[in-house]
Amino acid sequence: MSDFLIHVASIACIYGMLALSLNLQMGFTGLVNFGLIALFGCGIYGAALAHVMGWPLIAGLAAALVMAGLLGLFFARLGRRLSSDYWGIATLSIAEVIRITVMNESWTGGAQGISGLTLLFGDLRPWDGLARLGLFALALFATYLLCEKLVRSRFGLAMKLMREEPQLARALGHDINGIRARVMLISAAIAAVAGVLYAHYLTFVGPDQLVSADTFLIWSMVIVGGIANNRGVVVGAVLMQFAMAFVPFAKDLLGLPTDFVAAARLILVGGGILLFLLLKPQGLLPERVGAGK
Amino acid sequence: MFQFFSDALLRAADLALIAVALSAVYSLIRFPNVALVQYAVVGAFLAISLQSAGLGLVAAAALSTLAVGALAVLFNLAIFERLLKVESSIALIGSLALSMILSAVFLLVYGPTAYRLQLPVLAPIRLMGVRLTTWQLWTLGLSVVVLALFALLLLRTRLGAEMRAVATNAPLAAATGIETRRVTNIVVFLSGMMAAIGGITLALRGSVSIDMGTNLLLPVFAAAILGGLGNALSAIVGAIVIALAETVITNTNLGPLMGEAVWFLPASYAPVASFAILVLFLLFRPRGLFVSEVTRV
Amino acid sequence: MSGTAETLLEVRNLSRHFGAHQVLGDVSFDLRRGEILGLLGPNGSGKSTVLNIVSGFLAANGGSIGLNGRPIVNAGPENVTAAGLVRTFQLPSMPRRMTVREVVQAGDATTATLASATRPLRFDNEVDELIAAFNLGPVAGLPASSLSGGQKKLLSVAVALRCRPRILCLDEPTAGVHPNLRAEMVRILRRYNAEGVAMLVVEHDMLFIRDLCHRCVVLDRGEIIADCAPASLEDNPRVVEAYLGKAVEKGKLAS
Repeated sequence: MSDFLIHVASIACIYGMLALSLNLQMGFTGLVNFGLIALFGCGIYGAALAHVMGWPLIAGLAAALVMAGLLGLFFARLGRRLSSDYWGIATLSIAEVIRITVMNESWTGGAQGISGLTLLFGDLRPWDGLARLGLFALALFATYLLCEKLVRSRFGLAMKLMREEPQLARALGHDINGIRARVMLISAAIAAVAGVLYAHYLTFVGPDQLVSADTFLIWSMVIVGGIANNRGVVVGAVLMQFAMAFVPFAKDLLGLPTDFVAAARLILVGGGILLFLLLKPQGLLPERVGAGK
Repeated sequence: MFQFFSDALLRAADLALIAVALSAVYSLIRFPNVALVQYAVVGAFLAISLQSAGLGLVAAAALSTLAVGALAVLFNLAIFERLLKVESSIALIGSLALSMILSAVFLLVYGPTAYRLQLPVLAPIRLMGVRLTTWQLWTLGLSVVVLALFALLLLRTRLGAEMRAVATNAPLAAATGIETRRVTNIVVFLSGMMAAIGGITLALRGSVSIDMGTNLLLPVFAAAILGGLGNALSAIVGAIVIALAETVITNTNLGPLMGEAVWFLPASYAPVASFAILVLFLLFRPRGLFVSEVTRV
Repeated sequence: MSGTAETLLEVRNLSRHFGAHQVLGDVSFDLRRGEILGLLGPNGSGKSTVLNIVSGFLAANGGSIGLNGRPIVNAGPENVTAAGLVRTFQLPSMPRRMTVREVVQAGDATTATLASATRPLRFDNEVDELIAAFNLGPVAGLPASSLSGGQKKLLSVAVALRCRPRILCLDEPTAGVHPNLRAEMVRILRRYNAEGVAMLVVEHDMLFIRDLCHRCVVLDRGEIIADCAPASLEDNPRVVEAYLGKAVEKGKLAS
């Protein structure tokens, strides 16, 4: 059981990083990104690419950052002329194109994916699980600090002004295309790092890890935890991840059919989003307006 | 060749009904309701269930269509009207969440198996060398009739005029005495009905499973955006373009390009055609095919 | 009307059409250093279009704009602001999730770089000075969207001044503003004008124009029909005709 808890906590840390990444985009800058999973995918496939080529882990990280950065810049470029709803659909489409391509090409391992990546701290057995959890928690904490620094700066004020009043921001001389590109680059880098860690934890990479349902899971973490509150979205990530992980136990306990697991997860994500949007739109930990002093 | 066009035409008819519904609602409340593709699935499943409960085919289809229209209004009142007060992107996220919940309901009620309507077997027809089933012709006819009725409603009736007025300038329309909320909910009702008919026509030609909505989502959006979201009737043209692109990409022999005699793209690449067109369009003509854009710096 | 050393903003032969509809014919005017210039005209005369083009929010179909000799036409709003011209909006919309103080701080785009994230956020002294000058002290910690319409206009001017502009373009600064706040606005604008900020003011309120402006340019159907002192506006038959049609008694314009 404790191994299982360590596993869920490790995944929660990774998703916490993704939630922070989405929060920078959506929470603070108003960028409605429905293709976040593709940026994460650049991370996991960057690691896989390095594995296939026989490169060291650090080269995989570099490849992941470059791919995610380019994709993030492409997203940002699309955002120049699109309103948020169009941009959301466009990013969702791009993520789907990438998933379908990855699934059908042989150099990506196709539907079977790529397995046999090195397990982080694999030689520290039996303490490897804890060591990984420690590393992931550290990465999450570093990401949190980075995000806090960013949103509590003058650049952060510009992000917030762009989020709500892009026209006013432009009139005051803010280069909103530049802000969008920078925010996308930073959040793409966070997602890529999370992806590399994830790949070297599962030791397996496949197109099933690129499904848009996971983007919406990250969305639910942000909305439940508190849009534009960095602590809130980490709390949201932990809550949602544990809730998702315990669904199979509930199924066994209640003797429900297997379809219940998939359905319950959909309901957790969809229902979580909808209930919070309708009843508590600011989330568990609301944004602190004017907290920057 | 004619086979190619009939494939594309049938696909276009499937997409057009839902894309037009999506676009019509967007024109009034300025947010793209993702859940519309799930309303199509509800329509199909409900018709199948009603039929197996003993109703005739026509009665089951009609009842299901009305029920989905009512459901669309219910969701609009309970969810979207409230979320739209915050922001349109919040309403968009809400509609994605509703889609997930509907998927879960389908999974719990129907499971992962595919369902079919009980249809009498009719002899296929040969037309210019192409085998068409009678049901294919029926569904095509039904789609065309529904789209024509909607066009007539939009262009020739008082409701249509009110709808266009609200779409152009809602505050002004309200000031001239149009009840914008009533007009909107009528259109939402019609959009639910059209989506349901879209789902039922799919069920008339094949089987229906719970992932039908997810698979329809992006092609339908591509069609609606291509036509210019909010520009309801041009979504039909968008649907035709998308259907042609999908059919071309999977039916063209790319052998010469690949240095082989015969080489077709895997069928799973069909959706990539619509996404690629969508993304290209959003890059270069974000307001759709038919809007001449006002240049902004 | 040719540009001299006194000229700060030089607008020449500006034209713009929307589809077949010609909104601006051939508009030329100058704004001199230290001047407050009123831009007047009936509804639909093209004032807002001029302001949108000058501030970089709208492309011109033809013509040129020079700011201190630098061409700024079609440069995009952020570049126009960087060149020293900033505008306000007729109905200023303010963020819900930022305080008044944060909005004023955000008015300075030049220091809002990524590098700023390496330091903790501090507000400049200038922010507090502006907040005091505009009497926004009591509301400085409130969400900016919670202000009244008039206070939002004051805030939008304060934020614009935060950019340290050479030219401030004001879009109907007193429309919908309580009379007490209007007097306040005139006083504040005069003060900043005395410090050297030139202004281009689109306004309907004749009292405000006469109080504040040094000179007026009047637009009608996309053409300039008058360029004179505010006091002589109602002696100009073309202006009177443009506003009220023919056969209007002298003196009605001011009411």
